[in-house]
Amino acid sequence: MSKRMELEEAIKQFIRPGSRLCFSGNALHRAPMAAVREIARQEISKLKIVKTAGALDIDLLCAMGLVDTVDAGFVSYESVYGLCMHYRKGVEEKRITGNEHACYTVLCALRGAIMNVPFMPVHGLLYSDLLVENDYFKVVDDPFGGQEPVTLVKTLKPDVAIIHVHQADEQGNAIINGAKYDDEIIWRAADHVIITAEKIIPSLKGTYGKKTIDIPGFMTDAVIEVPGGAKPCSYEGLYEVDHRMLKKFLSGREKKDHQIWLDNYDQTDRKGLRQQAGGFRR
Amino acid sequence: MRDKMAYTTADMMTCAMSRLLQDGEVAFHGVSSHMPMVSMMLAKALHAPSMVHLNIPGGVNPSTLRNTSYSSAGTELVRHSESTFSLLDVFDLSIRGKLDVAFLGGVQFDQHGHVNASIIGTPDNLKVRLPGGAGSAVLIPTAKKAIVWRTKHDVRTFVEHVDFITTKGNLWKIVTPLCVFDYFKGRLVLDSIHPGTTVEEVKAQTGFKIHETEVPVNAAPTQQELNTLRKIDPNNLRAIEFK
Repeated sequence: MSKRMELEEAIKQFIRPGSRLCFSGNALHRAPMAAVREIARQEISKLKIVKTAGALDIDLLCAMGLVDTVDAGFVSYESVYGLCMHYRKGVEEKRITGNEHACYTVLCALRGAIMNVPFMPVHGLLYSDLLVENDYFKVVDDPFGGQEPVTLVKTLKPDVAIIHVHQADEQGNAIINGAKYDDEIIWRAADHVIITAEKIIPSLKGTYGKKTIDIPGFMTDAVIEVPGGAKPCSYEGLYEVDHRMLKKFLSGREKKDHQIWLDNYDQTDRKGLRQQAGGFRR
Repeated sequence: MRDKMAYTTADMMTCAMSRLLQDGEVAFHGVSSHMPMVSMMLAKALHAPSMVHLNIPGGVNPSTLRNTSYSSAGTELVRHSESTFSLLDVFDLSIRGKLDVAFLGGVQFDQHGHVNASIIGTPDNLKVRLPGGAGSAVLIPTAKKAIVWRTKHDVRTFVEHVDFITTKGNLWKIVTPLCVFDYFKGRLVLDSIHPGTTVEEVKAQTGFKIHETEVPVNAAPTQQELNTLRKIDPNNLRAIEFK
């Protein structure tokens, strides 16, 4: 059965207001930006985002007023572009709940989802105001009588993981070239997995021993071909960060500026729409 | 005096961090950590060839930074690596007590070695939401030695009490543009100063009391260190935080 879809359709089908989402990559590397843009176009709101280290993906959705909660260890561009101002402002003005984790506790909270338990013990985190201020951490006595108290982190179960990959087939088998970052955790933890791919081929069957499938097709729900789907973020071996487009986003102040910025990508993100309209959307 | 020198503050800080690394150690740096990344490459090139360099994308011992343009977490660190070891693997290693050195950032530090990378103000009266401590709340307590660096050294950065304790623990050294602090018996003490500054200047720029009056002056970057830096870091990533 082919899982191939258009981006508009997949986002509409799997992502609801209030969905908890995980995105592939790290900071400005291989974020699934085409899918994030489509969420922004469809203005799906009250989103809960979970990521160890996020940047433009989180900041764009915050800029569009679509984010309710962010669970992350680090939300910032790297040194050159500084803080994620839309995220920062949203948290400071209490429109967004910024749940600060250690990156490791994000991964442990997702492991809780993988193992279907309500919380996970985390070694090492025993002295921090993070434990005092936040209800997703608890320090308890060891129920097995050990002397050391144990820190627990509440499980985070993502509704959807969106992962941008190099190559996929129509059954949803996917290959990630370059660093995997935390993708191996997020696809295992999420209820649904959406794959966007630089290229889709009919089948990766028969490539065993030549290519390594990173995500098995039976674990995925939708696969969409979006060349340049991480832009303006980078993809190993394919493209670098598009600094011009990134700067353009960062210079935007109001929602209408961001909408104009999104329009720049309509042609490349929404292939189905382009074909139906006979080449151009407007 | 400092502006007449043939090296930059970034060179000095990078060399100071590199000299803290020993051969055979297993060391990790994270995102937005350009100086630590270069200092690890420098240590491997000069005095610690069998040090193990770990990072976020998961490349073990990347051989070059030539294709690295702006990031310390880019996948080129994997492309040029010997093998892969994921971020989750790094955390698990540290949790088991087997990570020797972790480099971590922070925005505010106090005399008790508390690190704040979370907020300025209080949770109820938030002035600035900072990026967050990333791995530090888990790595600073569990790595054998945590090295912290900060490109600013002023009374707002080094304070009597931090606004928020993101973490404390096995902090070992803090490297700044002026000096190196040592975390000793639960307090930050002045370990050494860089050439071109004085203990008085460090005292004036630090918000907590410094008791030391005479401390060693670190050697300026040697010609060999500078030559190697130019070779391994031709894009001058080590200076990104100063731009």
